Amino acid sequence: MAKEPMRVLVTGAAGQIGYALVPMIARGAMLGPDQPVILHMLDIPPATDSLNGVKMELVDAAFPLLKGIVATTDVVEACTGVNVAVMVGGFPRKEGMERKDVMSKNVSIYKSQASALEAHAAPNCKVLVVANPANTNALILKEFAPSFAEKNITCLTRLDHNRALAQIAERLNVQVSDVKNVIIWGNHSSTQYPDVNHATVKTTTGEEPVRKLVADDEWLNSEFITTVQKRGATIITVRKASSALSAASSACDHIRDWVLGTPEGTFVSMGVYSDGSYGVPAGLIYSFPVTCSGGEWKIVQGLPIDEFSRKKMDETAQELSEEKAIAYSCLN
Amino acid sequence: MMTSNSLLQRLAKWCPWLLRDEPKKPVKVLVTGAAGQIGYAIVAMIARGLMLGADQPVVLHMLDLPFAADALNGVRMELIDAALPLLRGVVATSDEAKAFEGVNVAILIGGWPRKDGMERKDLISKNVTIYKSQATALQQHAAPNCKVLVVANPANTNALVLKEFAPAIPAKNITCLTRLDHNRALGQVAEKLNVHVGDVKNAIIWGNHSSTQFPDASHATVCTDRGEMPVRELVADEKWLREEFVSTVQQRGAAVIKARKQSSSLSAASAACDHIRDWILGTPKGTWVSMGVYSDGSYGVPEGVFYSFPVTCEKGEWSIVQGLQIDGFARTKMDASATELKEEKSIAYGFL
Repeated sequence: MAKEPMRVLVTGAAGQIGYALVPMIARGAMLGPDQPVILHMLDIPPATDSLNGVKMELVDAAFPLLKGIVATTDVVEACTGVNVAVMVGGFPRKEGMERKDVMSKNVSIYKSQASALEAHAAPNCKVLVVANPANTNALILKEFAPSFAEKNITCLTRLDHNRALAQIAERLNVQVSDVKNVIIWGNHSSTQYPDVNHATVKTTTGEEPVRKLVADDEWLNSEFITTVQKRGATIITVRKASSALSAASSACDHIRDWVLGTPEGTFVSMGVYSDGSYGVPAGLIYSFPVTCSGGEWKIVQGLPIDEFSRKKMDETAQELSEEKAIAYSCLN
Repeated sequence: MMTSNSLLQRLAKWCPWLLRDEPKKPVKVLVTGAAGQIGYAIVAMIARGLMLGADQPVVLHMLDLPFAADALNGVRMELIDAALPLLRGVVATSDEAKAFEGVNVAILIGGWPRKDGMERKDLISKNVTIYKSQATALQQHAAPNCKVLVVANPANTNALVLKEFAPAIPAKNITCLTRLDHNRALGQVAEKLNVHVGDVKNAIIWGNHSSTQFPDASHATVCTDRGEMPVRELVADEKWLREEFVSTVQQRGAAVIKARKQSSSLSAASAACDHIRDWILGTPKGTWVSMGVYSDGSYGVPEGVFYSFPVTCEKGEWSIVQGLQIDGFARTKMDASATELKEEKSIAYGFL
């Protein structure tokens, strides 16, 4: 008996990340090879032709799992009945723009998208905000969609999480699939804190702590952290374009694990609405370690936090509180 | 003394279920032109298991020109950043020998692109040089039984040059991509009949991956609640099937470029994945697909050119579907494409 199709919205679908993401969704990489999907793609009117071109290509690819395509510039049409929403669309930072300017542009966008989602999405719609400033955009979405379950609004730090796993794997010369349980704490920005204190590597003698195997706290506490924090900028320098492929792939991982569950003993990083865990102020969208089961995420509790980590976690919380204040001031 | 390996082998013989979960050995997949648009789309699909299956680890080899070294390195970095469990290694290089070393699958996207004002013979001339050199690397360094898919245009003629200069590679292991046109044909029929594309099958693309390709829906069927019905009967519009359908599929590439201001990387990459997947894992029963293969003279097509035929695939081998009726209209179209391919062949040979 075939599954009912799930409706997946991608905003900013005519852009680079959208172009990388939609074929992954249509080929079953996000929700599984047996889950039919209907793709909703939203972008702004100047991108109409481009968006239509993406739709044509999706038709041309003859995907068995793709049961329908809605390509539109109308946010209501885009949001109607969607079970998953990946919000890639936003105002990009241009040269010379202050953080306050980027914030101000995006806050308006996310306020209006909040209303559309709240009014038209399917019940229990799961939202992933990718567009930067991701955490604050997600917070605005939450604030302006009061009847939307706050647990259903998340932001992407899985890219940073995957980058952290990859750096450890390269350092230890092991397969990345043997490394797990890094954590990205905080804001998807340069204040994010990539933490390996609870990360492990699968070896022939069982799971071993990363800190023990790397045996270089100096590197783990400085270069490793800055490499992960700045990886996005590094990619831009090398590719002359931003990291669409890995962002799209990580967005698929985030949704897949959320919907289908994390493997036993593994946690992942998601930007979620803080409940005050780990001394992080409540009321911010903050990246925590989570496990997922039955379509729900849950913060991993009880991890010991050392002083070094405490400081880093507080710094990024501070930045998020400041962003929240700026965002609110833009709206008044 | 018995090694643990041979103990495993003996166990496997007597209790095969013990090795049920033994992971597969990685397959080495080469993508040339990997720093380009189609490359960017396809490497993500390969590394996520969308080409060879969710249980098949891969090692990606990526080749591009020296001037694209930074961009290629950027793609490598992103693949690493994606932390993909199936991706067991990435090689990013501008060295052909290193790129082809030990590869089991080679997807040749790299080639000289057509520029404004370029004559067809200029395009052929530039690419003949490239594919002659790639043929040497393929023959000397690839793993035995390496399967090759040529995507770069002129695809059929590039495949022919490759075959001619890699005589040790069995001709059956060299193919070119017409699956994109095939998938486009299915999509057009599905839109016309307002059915899901997954219910349409057995279109055929005959001939050259060029404007002389012949999209043929006369043997295609649609899965309905009354069983498999011929497309011809359901469309009931011979004029549409012979004219608008044919030209829409032929010109679809240009239509996408017009809309996107860029060429169709997403659908090309996806079609290349389908081509390789079906070749290696087999076509579903009752379904055929289109592949550009070395002609054996079937259907009155001249031997000695790469021509797109309807094929089924089983156990890693393709075979041409035989015995399909060819009417006068189809014959003319098929011959026109064959003639163009023979002309391209002489032009190519003129440069060698």
